[in-house]
Amino acid sequence: MVGERVYRHTVTARTTHWVWALAILVLVMSGLQIFNAAPYLDASDKSNPQRRVLAFGAQMQGGQPVGTTTIFGHTIRTTHLFGYTDDGMGGEAERAFPAWLTLPGPQSLADGRLWHLFFAWALFIAYVAYVFDAALRGTLREWILRPSDLPKLLPMQLYYLRLRPEPPPHGTYNPLQKAAYTIVLLAFFPLLIITGLALSPGVDAAVPWLTWVLGGRQFARTWHFTLMAFLVGYFATHLVLVLSTGVWNNMRSMITGWYALKKYDGVGP
Amino acid sequence: MKRRLFLATSLASLGLAGCGQIKNSLTYGPFRGALLSTQKLNYAVIGTHGLAREYTDADVDRNFRVNGFDTPSDDLYTRLTNGGFRDYRLVVDGLVERPQRLSLAELRAAGNQTQITRHDCVEGWSAIGKWQGVPLATIVAMAKPKANARYVLFHCFDRDQSGQPYYESLDLHQAAHPQTVLALDLNDKPLDPDHGAPVRLKIPTQLGYKSAKWVSRVELVADLGGTFGGTGGYWEDQGYEWYAGI
Repeated sequence: MVGERVYRHTVTARTTHWVWALAILVLVMSGLQIFNAAPYLDASDKSNPQRRVLAFGAQMQGGQPVGTTTIFGHTIRTTHLFGYTDDGMGGEAERAFPAWLTLPGPQSLADGRLWHLFFAWALFIAYVAYVFDAALRGTLREWILRPSDLPKLLPMQLYYLRLRPEPPPHGTYNPLQKAAYTIVLLAFFPLLIITGLALSPGVDAAVPWLTWVLGGRQFARTWHFTLMAFLVGYFATHLVLVLSTGVWNNMRSMITGWYALKKYDGVGP
Repeated sequence: MKRRLFLATSLASLGLAGCGQIKNSLTYGPFRGALLSTQKLNYAVIGTHGLAREYTDADVDRNFRVNGFDTPSDDLYTRLTNGGFRDYRLVVDGLVERPQRLSLAELRAAGNQTQITRHDCVEGWSAIGKWQGVPLATIVAMAKPKANARYVLFHCFDRDQSGQPYYESLDLHQAAHPQTVLALDLNDKPLDPDHGAPVRLKIPTQLGYKSAKWVSRVELVADLGGTFGGTGGYWEDQGYEWYAGI
């Protein structure tokens, strides 16, 4: 006998979940490859060192190469991690992100771009398919954050922090999950695609207001990178939660669709 | 079914990305074909619509960044430079009714367009320059392309370390875009040797590597396969996209 199970994720939700899991991994790693070709970010339209918000570099200090990261003018040493890092050939070199974080291979802007643009289409198609499917089936209503969820956010956070014995009453997803899914799916994904498009000279000519609204081309690059950093942070949180709330049950539900509500302990309720 | 196949191939390629030999077969085999197919998709969606943003004199980078190959130092180019480019002739030939050999004076007389546009490098940086020159469409029209001409090839004076010459290409749509110019001046002065003197292409609707410097010859062709690596440009032969609008 098994515990009670619910069919939690549709086939479209599961397929698109894994397509964009792969796509995001490749997009982040090929994106870092592209970033390495100009390892700095400006809050401006054209490149402008006076408006630099982030820069990676390497210099010699006391006969030793040192990697540096400069954020809003403050420089810290980040040798081996950023600036002076693994070159993928057994040594280290002046490169913002290490070779083990970049795809495909240690240094190839051309291939990095091809991979990035291919998987950008994969992400876009999977994203549109998921949102349409969720909207048509009504599953979107289960996770979209509503004004009535807002007062429940703090109690839910308190419950997570074990400062409250019970979570506030909620549907399939709790208010914090709804907030996370709504922000990631309806803000981060579209904004990542839009800020990426705004980097393209062809798109800038066809839709000039887009790059302008984002503060110019270099600023769009800065937004694109910042959103990526937030998405990586979300992914880390997501992974912790998947691992800490029953990894096999979670994985089963995202592969077969079925999620066990409670385990059968052989004794009965 | 297709999605599963795609997922499987993607996963396989990802897992093998570290192994040189297999990675190469993926990078240059069918996987590369799939990757390159998005280039056609991008061109179909974005194409040559609209005009690149035009800026004011205040936005111009007075010390416009020098990028690309070293300035040519061969005998021919040195002789042309020493002579103030008086002996320079832009050759326009290939699939044309009326081949041209145009001096700088003739190029200046053919048309004059000024644009202050942003140059977006594939590496990620941007700079703003004031370019003056003759629209490419004017020069192409002077030579009267034959009906089977589809691409405009740009042959250049510069070469890489191994002697491979730089070249680029556009299709006739991209060549006809009103902001695609053969530039003669940068920031109110004739182009200096480092910025591509005496004539360079400037196409602000695509990435910087399309804007070939040191142009010596404009050739109209029916396809790109017969020239050098066959993909339509020096960097394209190294794996970069031919359509550089994205």
